Amino acid sequence: MELTDWELVRKCQAGEMDAFQELVSRYHQKVYMVVLGLLRQREDAMEVTQETFFRAYRKIGSFQGGSTFYTWIYRIAVNIAIDAQRRQKRNPLDFRDSMDGVLEAQNEVAKDPFSDLRDKELREHLVKAINELTPEHKAVIVLRTIEGLSYRDIGEILGCSEGTVMSRLHYARKKLQDKLRTFL
Amino acid sequence: MTRCEDTGKSIGRWLDGELNPAQSAAVCEHMSDCPACGEERRQLEKIETTLRSVLVAESARVELAPLWREVRQRIERKRAWYEGLLERSRELFTAPRAAWAVPVVIALLLGVFSLDSYWPGWRFGASRNSFAAVDSIDAHGRSVALLRENESKTTVIWLYEDQEVENEAAEEESKSSPAF
Repeated sequence: MELTDWELVRKCQAGEMDAFQELVSRYHQKVYMVVLGLLRQREDAMEVTQETFFRAYRKIGSFQGGSTFYTWIYRIAVNIAIDAQRRQKRNPLDFRDSMDGVLEAQNEVAKDPFSDLRDKELREHLVKAINELTPEHKAVIVLRTIEGLSYRDIGEILGCSEGTVMSRLHYARKKLQDKLRTFL
Repeated sequence: MTRCEDTGKSIGRWLDGELNPAQSAAVCEHMSDCPACGEERRQLEKIETTLRSVLVAESARVELAPLWREVRQRIERKRAWYEGLLERSRELFTAPRAAWAVPVVIALLLGVFSLDSYWPGWRFGASRNSFAAVDSIDAHGRSVALLRENESKTTVIWLYEDQEVENEAAEEESKSSPAF
């Protein structure tokens, strides 16, 4: 039977490294997705993902289960990513360039060439438009989109109220919609 | 406010499942009758599905094995004593966590500087009973010194000529005045 996150956390707290590996295996892609949504480059996203799990391991002893494991790990990831984004000075490639491989790979499965062209344009412009949002607006839209998290969970992760999450989401969506209207 | 304006603001919350059943039904009903709000919903859904597809495709590239190897290596590496200290201080002083420190420092400084109004003569390291030069003002060639004794609450105001100005004046006088 598969252990719950909390059971794995208890095992980690007892010093079982395998239990922590299982948690990393469950959440590494989701954490990476959130971080990549916030940062511009794959390399940076990978570094922040590693840092997130490293810090999570160091702090897991103090995790008391007051929140779910995924909100806890996302909170660590988002804080590191936002700090990294603010510090980010070097920027030889932007997220769009870095994501070109993915966008092209997705286009290879084209069926309707016209709709695929539109979709490709939309994806490219969406990535660019997301990058133009502030870290706080980017964070709400990414957390909501990837995990379908509730406003309450997002608020807990970002340390703000549900009302703030709601207004940030509304603003971020409007901004994206305005920038992408011609491609939608 | 029109129905469209009301609904327009709620479509995002409807998509997020954050409306109660009654509100949700009202928004749903309006969207099925109103082409503009229906289009708004379609656009928002399109943005969400596109963003998800981009990020999901990218995250599928991340392999667990190399990531775990890196994380495990870092966990097992013995840290120097200062690394832990650096980590803790970075966490403590990283904005916005250190934001509380700014008003606290301002309040402390104001407290220290206003202490003298409530406790006259108070100074860093100064004895309460000693004389303290409170101020010295240069006005029109005269200097004013205020001396205050704390215990008897006596204040002495001392007006004296600036020595340099005095000397200069004396010199000029001696030059201009005749020998006899």
